[in-house]
Amino acid sequence: MIEVEGVARSFGDVQAVRDASFTVNAGSVTALIGPNGSGKTTLMLMLATLLRPDAGTIRIAGHDPVADPRAVRTAMGWMPDVLGSWGTISVRRTLEITGRLYERTPVQARERAQQLIDLVGLVELAEQPTRVLSRGQKQRLSLARALVHEPSVLLLDEPASGLDPAARVELRTLVRRLASEGVAILVSSHVLAELDEMADSAVYLERGVTASDERIEASRAQSRDWRIRAVDPAALAAALKKLRIAASPPDHLGTAVSVAGEVEAAQLLAKLVGAGVAISAFGPAVGDFEHTFLDLSRTTTEGGPR
Amino acid sequence: MTRYFDTLGTIVQLELRQRIRSVAWLVLVSVVFVLVGIVTALLWFSITAFGGDVSDSAGVYSTIIFFVLLVGTLVTPAISGAAINGDRDAGTLATTQVTLASANQIVLGKFLAAWTVALTFLVASLPALLFTLIAGGVPGDTLAASLGVLVLELGVVAAIGVGLSGLITRPLFSVVTTYLVVAALSIGTLIAFTLGGLAFQSQQTQTIIGIDYSVGGEFDPNTGLPEEIVCLEPVTYTNTLPRFDLVWGILAANPYIVLADAAPTSFDANGFPQDLFGTIALGVRSAQSAPEFESVLDECAAAKEGDINLGYFSETPREIFDRTVPSWFVGFLIHLVLAAAALTGAIARTRTPAGALPTGSRVA
Ligand SMILES: Nc1ncnc2c1ncn2[C@@H]1O[C@H](COP(=O)(O)OP(=O)(O)OP(=O)(O)O)[C@@H](O)[C@H]1O
Ligand SMILES: [Mg+2]
Repeated sequence: MIEVEGVARSFGDVQAVRDASFTVNAGSVTALIGPNGSGKTTLMLMLATLLRPDAGTIRIAGHDPVADPRAVRTAMGWMPDVLGSWGTISVRRTLEITGRLYERTPVQARERAQQLIDLVGLVELAEQPTRVLSRGQKQRLSLARALVHEPSVLLLDEPASGLDPAARVELRTLVRRLASEGVAILVSSHVLAELDEMADSAVYLERGVTASDERIEASRAQSRDWRIRAVDPAALAAALKKLRIAASPPDHLGTAVSVAGEVEAAQLLAKLVGAGVAISAFGPAVGDFEHTFLDLSRTTTEGGPR
Repeated sequence: MTRYFDTLGTIVQLELRQRIRSVAWLVLVSVVFVLVGIVTALLWFSITAFGGDVSDSAGVYSTIIFFVLLVGTLVTPAISGAAINGDRDAGTLATTQVTLASANQIVLGKFLAAWTVALTFLVASLPALLFTLIAGGVPGDTLAASLGVLVLELGVVAAIGVGLSGLITRPLFSVVTTYLVVAALSIGTLIAFTLGGLAFQSQQTQTIIGIDYSVGGEFDPNTGLPEEIVCLEPVTYTNTLPRFDLVWGILAANPYIVLADAAPTSFDANGFPQDLFGTIALGVRSAQSAPEFESVLDECAAAKEGDINLGYFSETPREIFDRTVPSWFVGFLIHLVLAAAALTGAIARTRTPAGALPTGSRVA
C-alpha cells in the first residue's frame, strides 16, 4: 500500500513536485497521469527511496522511505523509465545478480530468474548479453528485474513504452494478476487508453500538483464527445438535424456529438435507432482517463492563476 | 555480517564480469605484458653489453619496478575513474541503489573490483620481475617489499579513481582529475619539494680553517702536505641554504619514493646503497635533517691527524639511513588518507534517498 501526503520536491529553482497526495491500496492498480515534465518520474523516485522529499510524508507498505529505506526496498519493486542494463551480462545473470542483491541465496536467485524469464517471454534471449536486446526486450527485462524479490508494492514508470501490442496485452494481464494477488501498483503512462483497461483509478498530476477528487468529479460530469458511425452518413446527419443536436462534420471515424453522461447517450442511441438510422458504431470518443486528463489540462491552461 | 560481505561480493563480481571480460582489458593486459618484457630485455642486454656484473641486476630490477608502477598508475585511473558516474549515466546505478545493497557496499565493491583489475596488470608484469630475480639474484625481501608497495599503491590510485567518480558528475572529468592527482603525486611533489625548499632559505655561517702551505718546509710526496703543518687564521663565510628539511614530507608523498624507500636497501662495504631504490631513498632521507647553520671545516686539524679528507666526510649514507625516519611510512599514510577521504566522500554522495543533487544530474 502506498500513502502519499503533501509531498514536494524541487531541484534548485525547478519545483518538480509541489503538492502530491494520494493513496494506492493493496490489490489495486492506480494510474499516474500527467503531461511531460509534470513530475511523475520525480514522484516515483521519491517513492522508490532514491530521492528525499523536501516536504510531506510517504508510506510504502507502512514504512517511511527516508527513515527506513531498507524496509521499503524489501517491499517495493521499481521499474525505471530509463532502460539501464549491464551490457555485457546475460539476461539470466542479470536477474540472478539482482536476486543476490536482494539477499536471496544463489539457489533461490537462480530459480526466480528462470521463473521470470518464462514470465516475461525472454526464454530465447536468456543467455544473450543484455546489450543486444531491443528496446521492447529491455523493457521486459526491466519489468522482470522489478519483480525479482516478489514485492508487495510495484512502481512502474512508463512500462508499456516500446512494447508491441501483444506484449502490452501480456503486461496488462500480468499487472491485473499481480493486483489480484494483493500487490499495490502505481503505473505511469502516456497511453491513456491502455491505462483505462488496466487501472482501477487514476492520479492526475499537473505541474507537480495532484488534482483533487472534486475537480476530477467535476470534469467527469462535463458533457463529452461521443462518436457515432452510420452505414449511411447522410441519413445520420439528417436524423441529428431533426433532433436538433449539433454535430461535427463527419470524418473517417464518423460524427462526434456532445453528450452529458451515459443516460443521455443511451437515450440518443434509442432515438437514432428509432428514427431508422443504421448505426454501426456508438461510443465515447476518448477513454475516461483521457477525457479527464484533457479536461484538466484545458482548465489549468485556460483557467486563471494557479 | 556475512550478509554484508555476501552483497559486497556480489557487487565485486558484477563489476569484474563487466570489466575483465571486455576486449579492451585483454588488449591492455597483453600490451603491458609485452611492454614490460621489452623494457626488461633491453635493460638486461644493455647492462651485460657494458660488462656489468650480477649486482647490476638490482639496478635492472628497480628500474623495472618503477616502470611497472608507471604503467599501473597510468592504467588504473582509466579503469576506476568512471566507476560510479559512468553507471549513473548508463542508468544502472539507480537500479542497484534500490536493491538492498547499501551505498558503502556499492562504492567499496567498485573499489575492490577496480583494484583487482589493476592488479591483473601487475600480474602481467610478474614474469619479467621474476626473471630479474632469478637471473640476477635480487634479494627476496626487496622483491617482497617492492611488490607489496606496488599492490598498495595501485589500491590507492583505484580508491582515488572510484572516489572521484562518485564525487564528480561527468565521467570524463573524473577520469582526467584522477590522472591529475596521479601526476600531482608523481611529478607535482618533486616540483613542490624543490620550490618549497628554495622558498625557505636559511643563513649558514661556515668557518674554514685551512693550512698555510707557504710555510712548513718540504712537501711530503705521499700526502701532498707540508712537513710541518701550520694553520691559517679561520675564515668565515656566510651563504644561504635551501631548507629541504622543512618540506621533505611533500617528497615523501611521491609514490616512486615510497616504493624506493620501502624496499630494504643493501649497502656496500663503504656504506653506500647498491641499487637505484637505495640511492633515491638516500636522497629523501638526507633531506630530513636540517643543515648545519654553524659549520666548521677544520682542514688543518684533519691534516694533523694525517688525512685531510677526514674533515669532509662526516657520515656514511648508511649512518644517515639509520638515523632518519623511514619516509615511505609518512608518504603511504598521506596516500591512505587521500584514498579514504575520496571513498568516504563518494559513499556520502551515493547514499540514497538523495538530498541535494549536483546541478545537471538526474538520479535516473
Ligand atoms: N535532477 C534534476 N535536476 C533539475 N531538474 C529536474 C531534475 N529532475 C527532474 N527535473 C525537472 O523536474 C520536472 C519534472 O520532471 P519529471 O522527470 O518528474 O517529469 P515526468 O512527469 O516524468 O515527465 P515525462 O512525462 O516526460 O516522463 C521537469 O521540469 C524536469 O526538468
Ligand atoms: Mg518520466
